[in-house]
Amino acid sequence: MKLAGAFLSGATSRLLPASIPLRFFGAAIASHLLAWLALLAGSEALPRFAGGLGWTLAALHLVTLGVLAMTAIGASLQLLPVATRQAVGSVRWPALIWWLYTPGVAAVAVGMGAAQPVVLASGAAAVVVALLVFVALLAKNLVGAKGMPVVVAHGWIALASLLAVLLTALSLAFAYVGAPIIDRGTGLALHVVLATYGFMGMLALGLSYILVPMFALSGAPNERRALASCALAALALALAGAAAFGISPRPLRVIAVLAAAAAVAMHLQLMSVALKTGMRRELGRSFRLVRIAWALLPLSLAAALAVALDFPFEGMQTLFGLVLIVGWLLTFLLGILQRILPFLASMHKPPGKAPPRTPSSLTDDRPLAVHFWCHLAALALLALAIIADSAAIAAIASVIGAAGASALAVFFMILLQRMRRPHSTIRVRNDRVA
Amino acid sequence: MNFQRQVSHALHEEHRTNLDLLGRIEQAFARAPRSGASRDPDLVRLAASFARHLEQDVERHFDFEEKELFTRLADAGEGDIAGLLAEEHSAIRAVAEEVLPLAREAAAGTLDDAGWSALKVGALEMVERQVSHIQKETMALLPMLDDLLDDETDRELSFAYAAGHSRG
Repeated sequence: MKLAGAFLSGATSRLLPASIPLRFFGAAIASHLLAWLALLAGSEALPRFAGGLGWTLAALHLVTLGVLAMTAIGASLQLLPVATRQAVGSVRWPALIWWLYTPGVAAVAVGMGAAQPVVLASGAAAVVVALLVFVALLAKNLVGAKGMPVVVAHGWIALASLLAVLLTALSLAFAYVGAPIIDRGTGLALHVVLATYGFMGMLALGLSYILVPMFALSGAPNERRALASCALAALALALAGAAAFGISPRPLRVIAVLAAAAAVAMHLQLMSVALKTGMRRELGRSFRLVRIAWALLPLSLAAALAVALDFPFEGMQTLFGLVLIVGWLLTFLLGILQRILPFLASMHKPPGKAPPRTPSSLTDDRPLAVHFWCHLAALALLALAIIADSAAIAAIASVIGAAGASALAVFFMILLQRMRRPHSTIRVRNDRVA
Repeated sequence: MNFQRQVSHALHEEHRTNLDLLGRIEQAFARAPRSGASRDPDLVRLAASFARHLEQDVERHFDFEEKELFTRLADAGEGDIAGLLAEEHSAIRAVAEEVLPLAREAAAGTLDDAGWSALKVGALEMVERQVSHIQKETMALLPMLDDLLDDETDRELSFAYAAGHSRG
């Protein structure tokens, strides 16, 4: 595929060749389908899942490592150099990350699902090395960043969280062979909070300050308020971290949730202003997913509060995990992914002398419609499965989720096919892509 | 976006004006009737604005960016982004060339139903291409001008652009 301009210009470029972000997004889409299938295999344990090797844990990590972190790596490798006015450097490093990370995630999932600690440990080692390379690239970019202080501040907190997540992951992995670095309960509490709200959450909030105004064509969100939101989120993470070490756990967790709620309220208010004042207000189905995810973010904090206060419901922790990981993070990233895939793909020139494509000409809206309804139905049914303690409902939800994930994969394959096809044969218009 | 340079502000303002027009065109043309659109005075007025935009704004705006900004971008080692934006200019010019005669006829009230159908398709493609292009420029080009231009060059270029505007 020929690239528009001189995309492969190497170290001075701020744009990556299409193959780099697309391989991360493709792997995320494949992991998404595999996650639902793993959940189907582990649906028996899902309603009262509280950790431990098995296919439910494998499904969880296929979502967190395979979909969420994979998408975040691909998006940040492409978006941050543009936002922070930095060169991307050699494309070999992002490629190396992918070649280490993708098989590593697969091995982690198989090791967890089949309860094979050696496979799990080898996969975890590859994932840790890949993420350390990513940390180095991200840190280099943030150190030299020009402008976008809000994005940079979120990036630093995400990076610090990721380092702590890697440390706790190693500790938890060593716990399976009887040699944890820190107490398992502390490690698990830190791992959950810092992986979800810390690394993924802060990247999601930070990249939103680039993506939402860009797609809505609005002014930049108020910088002072955005930084205040970021500081409150950092405070919440620090308090939750201290609570994990046993320092006044209940009061600190409650204060952490309140600080996080204030941070989220400010963030969502800024996003709402961007959408209301933007010159593109109809942003399609992908942004409907984003809006649903935004509604579920504060709900995840309410669930976290219920967990902190020992709400008398046996499935509360599982419900919290569902709302946080599938409801907020997965729904948000899938919405954003559907939006940025055609946008990024349209930046790469089709074969021959044809003009650059439009995002809508690369988008087949039908599979996205199927995915939208399947995703929401699966999410609702999973919540019902936890509330009713029903493995059968969890299995039905997994099948519907897998159907939605397959539809998303079809959308991605059609997009790749259309990128390679001469423009004249596909002059089609689908749903408007703003 | 918070831009530091006058040139960035001028281009951003023009983008906003264009987006306003493109948004109105998108809404109105998408809802236009299959027959008898020429009898709707609002559509005819909008077609006239669209024709003016294609005749005057697009070429002047693109010329300025290509001659004064993309060359500087390429010199600063950002040839990839300059190349991408220039390719999009070419694609937008090609669509504008197809659509402009139809828009002129629509503005004169002489476009038949088949012509209106063709105008709608072309106009919607024009809207999508320009919106996507403006999104990229807002994200990548305008913030970079803070680094590329010094105060004096910024003043000179913004004056030159304003002068071109008043001539246009």
